[in-house]
Amino acid sequence: MAISTEKLTHILQSFVTSTTDIQGAAVVTPDGLPLAASLPGGMDEERVSAMSAAMLSLGDRIGSELARGGIDRIYVEGDKGYGILTSCGEDAVFLVLADKAAKQGLLLLEIKRTLSDLKAVLM
Amino acid sequence: MEIMRLVVTGPVGAGKSTFIRSVSEIEVVDTDRRATDEALLIKKRTTVAFDFGRLQFGPDMALHLYGTPGQSRFDFMWDILIQKAHAYILLVAAHRPHEFREARRIMMFMKQRSPVPMIIGLTHTDCPGAWDAANIALALGYPNPSRRPPVVTVNANETASVAQAVIALVQHTWSGSLAATS
Repeated sequence: MAISTEKLTHILQSFVTSTTDIQGAAVVTPDGLPLAASLPGGMDEERVSAMSAAMLSLGDRIGSELARGGIDRIYVEGDKGYGILTSCGEDAVFLVLADKAAKQGLLLLEIKRTLSDLKAVLM
Repeated sequence: MEIMRLVVTGPVGAGKSTFIRSVSEIEVVDTDRRATDEALLIKKRTTVAFDFGRLQFGPDMALHLYGTPGQSRFDFMWDILIQKAHAYILLVAAHRPHEFREARRIMMFMKQRSPVPMIIGLTHTDCPGAWDAANIALALGYPNPSRRPPVVTVNANETASVAQAVIALVQHTWSGSLAATS
């Protein structure tokens, strides 16, 4: 069955709009191409996708080479907010951009929930 | 121990990852992922961050080789890698003339960001339809043979051939720094 981009986009949009302090989200291929995105204005989908793929692949490599095991997620914490990358099955990477005010526990729970929705569409 | 950082760049499928794998003494740190874009026409996997290899060069110098991704969507990696490079080699597949323009674009990107020495490495020169060095140099914007970077032919699969290219790059870098100090 073909992957429905509309469904993916819909999931991302409702995730971004319904969760407080989330500013954007994207689902990209492991080689850095956009599948679906709901990003803040001015952010280029293609660039965001390539960066997500590069970061996750390096994280994976650190996990295996520096004996940290399989990588669940990568956190980028800046003074303005978070960028969180989560592997979404074999064929996708999930990126979430959140405000500094975001509550981390809530954030992780929401990410987990959205991941399973995304995976269901990607299957 | 002096460390010289060399960047290996060029369009998709030029042979950058293979180049580094051929000469590295350590197991190469690669970040390749299954390709889903136009790279798929050429190969199954593609680099998404960088390749890293190391080569001991004489008793007190180590070469660190960094391979860039080929696709321009990863140009932030090109930027990161070239900032710290001492020199770079632009690999160009001689038998895919439609990519020369992309090779030239990558070269201009690098030149705008870094003045370090570079050479051009031609790969796939044994493939049908391969252009000769003079014409490729012309296509890359070097009409005058006496005023162009060194052009070497390299078989990325052969360690000896890649080593020759690396030596040419290091020599070119040294001759440049000698000229600058004299």
